Amino acid sequence: MLHIKCPHCGLRSQNEFSYGGDGTVKRPELNKEVPDKEWDTFVYLRKSPRGKHIELWHHISGCRQWIKVERDTATHEIFKTSKANEDI
Amino acid sequence: MTPLSALENIHKKGLFGEHESKEQKDLIKISEIKNLLIVQVVQYKKSNVSLKDIKIDGLNLSSEALKVTSNKDTRILWTGPNNWLLVSEKKEILKNIKNDFKDSDFAVTDLSHSRAIIQLEGKNSIEVLKKGCPFNFNEIEKNVCINSVFNGITITIDMIEDNSIKIRLFALRSFGESLYHSVTDACLEFGYKNI
Repeated sequence: MLHIKCPHCGLRSQNEFSYGGDGTVKRPELNKEVPDKEWDTFVYLRKSPRGKHIELWHHISGCRQWIKVERDTATHEIFKTSKANEDI
Repeated sequence: MTPLSALENIHKKGLFGEHESKEQKDLIKISEIKNLLIVQVVQYKKSNVSLKDIKIDGLNLSSEALKVTSNKDTRILWTGPNNWLLVSEKKEILKNIKNDFKDSDFAVTDLSHSRAIIQLEGKNSIEVLKKGCPFNFNEIEKNVCINSVFNGITITIDMIEDNSIKIRLFALRSFGESLYHSVTDACLEFGYKNI
């Protein structure tokens, strides 16, 4: 089981969190014509790296905030966490 | 019309579990807390209102994580950034709350009928919680509240007393019976008294 340090609540069990996917994906700019390929890439294409990965997690049974987590996908070691609106 | 509490049909008074050969003071006491005013207060992100200027029943909203501010009747629990749960025996303060928290800055929701509240008292109460909740209870002290899970049910834990341990568990009303069964199952080995 992972222990994730929520930037708001402190160290908590993974049971309280829900995984939210790749934290580096940027949505195409609003109110701008987006080519199909760019939209397809945004919606469907994800990297599956072995090693450090920046992820979004939702502290769904805690403070209900989204956070960013830098985690090693091979060892599950967590290096850093930050608020969703901060750079990690 | 008398309102029905969340655990009205399942919480029965008496002694249960392995209570024989144990002194009454060593048993866990379980009670349902009802007829409280429960209000969720959320400050909007765009709001610039200073929290120092607002007092409810003489209490400020604390922006310190996990902190509970309290007096004899009212407790204000921090449940997330800009998010509080106000629990009070004084139902009449709802009017003040609605006046003091302006619509343009705060969302105020009366949750009085949508929560089940179970109160545990006794030295083994923490051991009971450890069975179903992954939180490190060595860190908990008086006037600290946490949101967590108990056997998969999302709960809010409010530590009222840490000497003679007294803890309140809040869950969604619809999960109340399920949580009650989970908690009472966990209490069986210690013996418990429903009051």
